[in-house]
Amino acid sequence: MSANLSVAGQRGVSPLGLGLFALALVALLLFPLFVNSPYALHMMILLFLSVIMGESWNILGGYAGQYSVGHAAYFGVGAYTTMILMTAKGIPPWFGAWAGVVMVIGVALIIGSICFRLRGPYFVLASIAVAEIMRLSAFNLKDLTNGAEGILAVSVPPLTIGGTVITDFLSKVPFYYFGLGLALLTIAVTWAVEHSKLGYFFQAIREDQDAAHSLGISLTLYKNIALVISAIFTSLAGSYYAIYVGFVDPNTVLPLDLSVQIVLISIIGGIGTLFGPVVGALVLVPLSEALRSNLITKALFSIGLVSESSKIGAFLQENLSHAHVLIYGVLVVIVILFMPEGVLGFVSRLVHKITRRDA
Amino acid sequence: MVILEVKNVSKFFGGLAANSDVSFNVEQGMIMGLIGPNGAGKTTLFNCITGYYPPSRGDVTFDGRRMNGLQPNQVCKLGMARTWQKVRPLAKMSVLDNVMVGALCRTNSLKVARELAMEQVKVVRLEHRLNFPAGGLPIGERKKLEVARVLATQPKLLLLDEIMGGLNPAESDEIIKLIFEIKKDGITQVVIEHDMKAIMRISERIVVINSGEKLAEGTPAEIVANPEVVEAYLGSEH
Repeated sequence: MSANLSVAGQRGVSPLGLGLFALALVALLLFPLFVNSPYALHMMILLFLSVIMGESWNILGGYAGQYSVGHAAYFGVGAYTTMILMTAKGIPPWFGAWAGVVMVIGVALIIGSICFRLRGPYFVLASIAVAEIMRLSAFNLKDLTNGAEGILAVSVPPLTIGGTVITDFLSKVPFYYFGLGLALLTIAVTWAVEHSKLGYFFQAIREDQDAAHSLGISLTLYKNIALVISAIFTSLAGSYYAIYVGFVDPNTVLPLDLSVQIVLISIIGGIGTLFGPVVGALVLVPLSEALRSNLITKALFSIGLVSESSKIGAFLQENLSHAHVLIYGVLVVIVILFMPEGVLGFVSRLVHKITRRDA
Repeated sequence: MVILEVKNVSKFFGGLAANSDVSFNVEQGMIMGLIGPNGAGKTTLFNCITGYYPPSRGDVTFDGRRMNGLQPNQVCKLGMARTWQKVRPLAKMSVLDNVMVGALCRTNSLKVARELAMEQVKVVRLEHRLNFPAGGLPIGERKKLEVARVLATQPKLLLLDEIMGGLNPAESDEIIKLIFEIKKDGITQVVIEHDMKAIMRISERIVVINSGEKLAEGTPAEIVANPEVVEAYLGSEH
């Protein structure tokens, strides 16, 4: 128990951690110079997207303890606002994204004023309901959103500053750097929150809202602050996704699936920790890719565990790629049962145990 | 000077009167005991005073200000703070962080809050647990943490709800000492307690509540001699 406790009580930055972080940062900055496979860049972009979504959910869900399962709503607002402004009004996405942020602050405050009257499971249900309302609205407000057909952007206008073209977005590299920047920004914001009054108040609300209330913390105010910060970055993730993919429709940017996936990034990585969502993204993105492209089946064949011609082999090849939701489910069960603090918490406890045994 | 005035406070839950027409005054700097059998409505009264429930009728005036309708956080900001009968540690946060949350009620700076928190941790003698998660503390230390955290909000009036409940005699003695120390700092206290010996020792005045109504008020000696109080606690002879 004491190892587990010391993880929770940890604060401050170790030189080793800082060194590793700097190393990773340099590697990430140089990555596109050495790797020009579009597939690898695509994977990295998906990773950044997951990190952004996970970190922003973590501020509300992990630190403030308000388990929103409706974050697709904020993602969708960002994605749609950016796309609508770009295709209908010709407003470039780097302005549209900020319009999305303004929109999402309004939406978040409305949702907050409704949902924060509720606690615990009722809040969760309300957050799901609100996101579903947004999805159905996007289906039906055809004049604005083009309904189920969605909005397709043929091209992204080049980013120019003072007439000079910075990038034309023809390759994946500019998206890579945008994603990296945004991911670093959300991590930085989370760090800043953690090391401020906000972080203390959010965690106090998570641990016991009545106690927090009696210690002078306005629940309405601080829950809404957490929600707004969280929604802003989820919206930016939505805008980023929309420009990258060039297409939005209600089932890709507003589904319940997405809301659940956003939650899982934090839960699997380690809820309420700075790097939990990063770890969660590192687990989930490769896993879902491996399942989608049938890599796991191929791996089983190549190590000879299952023969390709056998009945089981055929079954796996046929079904495993469709089973990613099932495997997600199993993964969540495993994490909740055996690593209640997420992969990050589990690993740091393990490291703790080993180093103490040495000492 | 009267710091807290409770005037004709009633609280109904449906048709049930948890408090009816309770009135008393608390003088600045004193320790007031609030006693009564289980279910008498003592905690409900605390909840009405500190903004958790709006009183159904009556007024609560603190420091010359009417408190009805204020939220618990506003009540705390105005200088009236309470502890909980069932302790509520912020389990995953360290002892120091718990107390810092209280201190942040008065400051925006983490550095200042940390210093204020350290002072209060020392007052309750939990220095050796500074970085220990609050959820892992034994009950005696949890109660002390509760006091340190609430002191860090720098209250003028402290409402302690069964702060000695579940403690052994040695631990209770420590809390009693603590209550006297807090009094020395000029903080007024209203104390709900079941331990009669303790309450008689610490209180200057006692209010007895039974079935939601005020049964008696007086000095500890008067209360002990009051036949109605004896009857409420021990039953009548007949």
